[in-house]
Amino acid sequence: MEYKAPIEAYKGVVREITIGRGEKTLKIGGENILPFHYFDEGTMPNPPRFALEVMDMEPGEKIPHLLEPFGDTITDPIKWAKKCETFGVDAICLTLLSTDPAEKDSSPEEAAQLVKKMLTELKKPLIVYGSGDEKKDAEVLPRVAEVCTGENLLIGPVQKENYEIVGKAILDHGHIAIAQSPLDINLLKELNVKLCKFLPPERVVIDPLSSPLGYGIEYSFSLMERVKQIGVITKDNMTMMPIIANLGSECYKTKQAKENETQGLLWEAITATTLCLAGANLLVLRHPETLKLVKKTLLGGNEKWQS
Amino acid sequence: MIIIGENIHVISKEVSTALKERNPTVIQRLAKEQTEAGADYIDLNVGPMKKDTEETMKWLVNCVQEVSNLPLSIDTMNPVAMEAGLKHCKKRPLLNSASGKKDSKEQMLPLAKKYNCDVVISVMTDKGMPPEVESKIESIMETVAYANELGIPNEDIWVDPIILPISTAGEGQRAAVVCLEFIKILQDVLPGVKSTVGLSNVSNGVPHHLRPILNRTYLVMLARNGLYSAIADPLDKELMSLMKGELSHVTELIYKTMDGEEVDLTTLPEKEAAYVKTARVLMAQTLYSDAWLET
Repeated sequence: MEYKAPIEAYKGVVREITIGRGEKTLKIGGENILPFHYFDEGTMPNPPRFALEVMDMEPGEKIPHLLEPFGDTITDPIKWAKKCETFGVDAICLTLLSTDPAEKDSSPEEAAQLVKKMLTELKKPLIVYGSGDEKKDAEVLPRVAEVCTGENLLIGPVQKENYEIVGKAILDHGHIAIAQSPLDINLLKELNVKLCKFLPPERVVIDPLSSPLGYGIEYSFSLMERVKQIGVITKDNMTMMPIIANLGSECYKTKQAKENETQGLLWEAITATTLCLAGANLLVLRHPETLKLVKKTLLGGNEKWQS
Repeated sequence: MIIIGENIHVISKEVSTALKERNPTVIQRLAKEQTEAGADYIDLNVGPMKKDTEETMKWLVNCVQEVSNLPLSIDTMNPVAMEAGLKHCKKRPLLNSASGKKDSKEQMLPLAKKYNCDVVISVMTDKGMPPEVESKIESIMETVAYANELGIPNEDIWVDPIILPISTAGEGQRAAVVCLEFIKILQDVLPGVKSTVGLSNVSNGVPHHLRPILNRTYLVMLARNGLYSAIADPLDKELMSLMKGELSHVTELIYKTMDGEEVDLTTLPEKEAAYVKTARVLMAQTLYSDAWLET
C-alpha cells in the first residue's frame, strides 16, 4: 500500500503585523501553519526576521569579540545603528539602557529625542526596548511614543505592572506593543487579555523572554511552541500574535559566549535557530556574524526568502 | 453528592490556634455551620500532628461530636493520629486517606479494617502521582486489590484521583481533563467503589475571589461523570444549590460545554456566561489565564 503523509489544516492565523511606516517597513507573522510546517496546508508568508541590537550608551562590559565588528561606533548609538544597517538587518533594536536607574538614570526626554533622531537617520524600521525597570519604563516609553507619534514603532517591554500607562501611550500615538511576561503561558495570556481590552490585538507582539542555550532555552522553546500551537491549532485570539525573541544580549551574558568568538557566535546562533524553530518571528541578535550564519542556516535553501 | 465539609483545616490560622489552645469555640462554630449548611461528613484535617497526638485527637473528635451528629472524616497522613481519631468516633468514620505508597498500605489500610470504616484511597504510589488516566487506573487497581486482600470490600473504598491546580502552567488543564475521564470510567474497572476528590485544589493559586466558580463548575462536571463525594466547602451556598439540582439551567449549560456544543455567550446573563467560560477552561477547550472570565 502506498504511504500517504497526513496533511494538517489549521484554524488559526498569526496576525501579520507591519512595523514602521513609509519606505521603512517590515512585516512579521501571518502564518497559518506551525513554524516551518510547509508540508501542511497553509503558508508562512514572512520568514523569520532579524534585528541587531544597539544600546543608547557604551556597554559597561566590553566583550572584545562582540564589539569588534562595530569598531568605535559603539560610543554613538546612531553611528552604531548605521553600522548595523550595513550588515543586512531587517530592523534595528535600540535598548534604552541608560534610562535604567541602576545605570545613568537618564531622562525620558533624552531617550525620546534620541529615538526621534535615530528615526530620521535610519533606513530600517526601529524596535525600542526600555531598560526593563517597570517604573522607569512607565515614564520613558510613553514619552518615546508621544515624541514619535505615528511612526508605528515596536515598543516594549509592556509588563503587567505598567501595561495600562504604556499600552495607552502606544495606542494613542500609533505604535505597536511588545507584551512581555515571565516564561509562563497563563501569565502571557492574562497580560494579553488585559492589554487587548483597550489595545487592538493587531497591535501586540509577544515577548515570552528568551533564555539562552544552557540557561533555560527549553523553557523558552516550549513556551513559544505552545503559543503557536494554541494560536494556530485552537485559534486562541490572545495568542495569535507574532513572537519577538530578544536573545542576543541574553546569550552574551553567558560565560561560554564571553569566552571566545567562536563560542559566542555558536551560542547566539544555536539559540536563535532553536527559537526560530519554536516559532519566533522576529529575532534580536548582537553579533553580525551570527546574523549571517543564522540567515544562511534558516533561509538559505528557500528561494522565495532570498532577497 | 456526598459533601465532606472541609473547613476544619489546620492550615487555617484560627483552627490551628484553637487546636493548640484547646479552644472549642472556633471548632464548634465551624462544625455547626457546616452541619446546618447540609454537609454529610465533617473533615478534620489535622496535618501531620506530631505533638500530643493522642490527646489532641481525642479532644478534637469529642469537641466536634458534642455539637454535630455527622460522621467524621479523619484527615491526616500520620497513622498514630489517624488511629487516635478513629477510635473516638461515634459514627462510622471515613479514613482520609490511604494511598498506594508502601507505608500507607502497611499502616493505614489495616486501620480501615480494624475500625471497620470507609477509606479514601488515592492513586498516589511511591513513584509519585500517575499523570494519565491509564496509569492512575493501573495504580488504583493494584492498591484496591491489596485492600480487598485485607478484607476491605470495594463498597468501603472511596477512590481519589487527586486533583491538581488548574493554574499550573501547561499541566493543570490537562490534569483537570484526566480526572474527569478517570471518574467516568472508574465504575467499569472497579465496580462498587465510591469516589472522592479534594475539590478546592483545582482552584489553588487562583485569585481568591475567582476560586468559587472554578470549584462549582468542576464539581458539576465531575458529578455528571459519576463522582460520589467531594471534600468541599458546604458554606458555598451556590455550590450546594447546584448539587441539589436547583440551578438546572446552569447545569445544562455546563453539560453543553462539556459536549463541545457551541454556546452563544452574547445571549447569556453574566453569571451564566461565566459558568460556560469556566467549563471551557476546565475542559481545556481554551487556554487558562487568571483573566479567563474577562475574555
